[in-house]
Order: sequence, then structure tokens, then C-alpha cells
Amino acid sequence: MNQEPREKMSVLIAEDDVISSKILERNLEDWGYGVVLARHGEKAWQALQNPAFRMAILDWIMPGMDGPEICAKIRRRKKFQYTYIILLSAKDRKRDIIAGLSSGADDYMTKPVNYLELRARLRTGRRIIDLEDKLLATQKQLKDLASRDSLTKLWNRAETLRFLDEEADRSRREGKSVGVIMIDIDYFKEINDRLGHQAGDQALLRVVHRVKRSVRSSDRVGRYGGDEIIIILPDCDNGRIQKIADRLRRAVGGRRMKCNSRTLRTTISVGCAVATEMTDSRTLIRRADAALLQAKARGRNCIAVHGISANPGKE
Amino acid sequence: MINHQNINRDNPINYREVLERIGGDTEFLEDLLKIYFLEFEEKRAQIEDALQGADFNLIQELGHSLKGSSANLSLPSLRRDASALEIAGREKNIDRARQALSSLIAECLALHDFLEQNPPQAQIV
Repeated sequence: MNQEPREKMSVLIAEDDVISSKILERNLEDWGYGVVLARHGEKAWQALQNPAFRMAILDWIMPGMDGPEICAKIRRRKKFQYTYIILLSAKDRKRDIIAGLSSGADDYMTKPVNYLELRARLRTGRRIIDLEDKLLATQKQLKDLASRDSLTKLWNRAETLRFLDEEADRSRREGKSVGVIMIDIDYFKEINDRLGHQAGDQALLRVVHRVKRSVRSSDRVGRYGGDEIIIILPDCDNGRIQKIADRLRRAVGGRRMKCNSRTLRTTISVGCAVATEMTDSRTLIRRADAALLQAKARGRNCIAVHGISANPGKE
Repeated sequence: MINHQNINRDNPINYREVLERIGGDTEFLEDLLKIYFLEFEEKRAQIEDALQGADFNLIQELGHSLKGSSANLSLPSLRRDASALEIAGREKNIDRARQALSSLIAECLALHDFLEQNPPQAQIV
């Protein structure tokens, strides 16, 4: 492998010696890296708070903070992506090399630097970072597969319930309310039976699209099962949930939708519940579900809010 | 192309080695040498102060720093004397430190004279 970086990778060079840093800078720029210099350990540590630096070349001895100390601090942080570190030093005894690598450096080079060797070692670092990026992307894909519904790409039931547990805990801690909306597509079984399951899937996708466009980005929309959609609404009281529910009902039923070359008018029934400080998430779902049944019993295409007897959303 | 006739192991600078390190750019080498001389003067004054105050930590630190920049520019004699200064600082030996500084100054002058006769630009054929 003799390729230089495909994208310009930013490398932080922490080196207090002017000549050494200038030579490093010149060579790395010639090899296609973006370079930022720091001549003080503290400055280097500050610069490394920028996640753009995936690679760092650190001198061992520097004013403010030495190379091994920076290595150790980098390795202690949790939320950053991996930073590949090459430690430079004039110290060439085995015990120094071991101490340098033990502090968290990935590689160790003695000064004066052999630049052909450094170039090859930087490529190795780049390969490791690329591998890490691929691993993280795969991890994210797997997490998405495990937490998303494959048809609608909404959060699946388990993930939605997890969000609700978190929100219910938060609302108890912070004294804020959390709302749950349950949506059921009216006569969905008939769409499936009359037009086929593909049309049913399309109808569901159209409804999901309209629902997602009618809620805030902070609200979590999930597929509860079949044609049931659940929405978790943080910081939401009875008045607000009623408005949102009616907006959803209008957004879905207000216009006809095209499904499998047929045009349908699909409506939804909506059940809502808002948690008080003492309500647990399961109770909240049960109440929203009961409200949904109430809406259906009232003739569908309407909303019902747990604890409120009026029927504001019926056309 | 580097003129290999000008390379001599006894020279105060190993042109071949340093030019390899910086991709053969002689103008860049001239800039680096200017920085080196400026830094040397600054550090020389600091070393003299450290010798007066018997600040061995500082002597060791300055010796280490000069050793690094001399090595980067492939200046073997200066590197050797800077290393001797670093060791003298570590061993808290004031006489050896003074001796190392005198030697460093002499070597720096020798380098200066050598560069006047053999400037980096002349290394290109």
C-alpha cells in the first residue's frame, strides 16, 4: 500500500523545537496531510479537543504538559473517536519506549526522525483509523437494524418503550409532563383485504410520512405494531397534546393519498394521554391505548384524550 | 541533485542526511539554519545565566533542546556538545557544563564559517 491520504487528514504536531516542528510540518504537508502546530503541551491538549484531529504526533518533552501526559488524557476520554498517536523522543532506551507506549501512544519514534519511516508509520495510522471508522459505521448500522422498524424506518416497539421509560423518568425528575399519542389507521384491514398487502404497506408509509411532518424533531415516532403508531412527546400537557393530535388527524385525513395506483382517503383515530409526576410509562401507554379505543368507539377519524370527556376532533 | 563531493564526515554539517530529511530543498535548509543560529544565541545567553545561578535543571533542559535541533539539522559536533551539556546538567557538574558551552560556541562559529564557504545552495549541481 503506497497510497497517500484520500482525504486531507488533519494531524496535530505538538513539538516545542522550532526546527523539528518546521521539518515535520513541511514533510507532512508534502505528503497531503493538513497540519496544525502546537509548541506547548497545554496548547496541544486544547487543540485536541477538536475532533477533527484523528492523528497526533507528540514530542515527549514539552513545556506545560509532556507527550505521555497528553497520551494518557486522550485515552481517558470516552466520547471522542480514536486518536492515533505517534510519540517522538530522543529517549531511545527500551524502558523509555515501553513507558511511552504504556502511556497510550500507538507508536514510538526516536529522534532525529527518519522521515521515510514516519511516512510509512502515518499510513499505518491512517489504516487503523479507517478500520475504526468502518467498525463504527457497521456498529451504527447494526444498532439501527436492531432499533428501527424495517418497513417504516420508525423506531421499533422496544426502542420506543425505552425512550418512553427515559422520558417518564426525566419528567418525574424535572417535574415536567410527557405525552403519548397512539394512532390507528381506520379500516386498515379493509385496505389490505381489498387492495392487497402492498397497498396496505404503501398506505402505512404515506400515513407515517404525514405524521412525521406534523411533529417536532424532539418527539419520537415509533411503530407500536401493525398499523399502530406511537408518539412520545416530551414536555407536553393536555392542551398541547390535544392540538397536536388534531393536527395529525387533519394531516392524514385531510388529503387523499395514492396507494398502488389507487387514490384513497385514509383517516386515523388518535388516543392521547399525559403523564402526571407519578405516572409510570406502562400506565401511560395503557391510558393512551384506552383513549384510542374510545376514539374508535366514537366512530373513528377523531381524537380522545385520557381524562377529558369532550370530543374536539370529530369532523 | 546533491553534490556528493561536498559531503565529508568531518564536516560540521552532514548535507546529504539533512537534505534527504527535507526533500532536497536547499532554500528551506537556509531558513532552518537561520532559525538555528538565532535560537542558538538566545539559548547561549540562557545557558550563561543558568551557569551563573547553578540552575542545573535549566542547563539540562537547554542542552536537551539544542541536542534535538542540532540532530535535526545533522550537525554532529554540535549535537555531541549539546548532549555533553545535557549530561553535565543532569550530573550537576558545573565545570563540565562550562566546558561543553565553550565547545558549543566554538563549534557554532566553525559551522558559520563552513556555511560561508559551502552554502546549502552550492550543494545543488
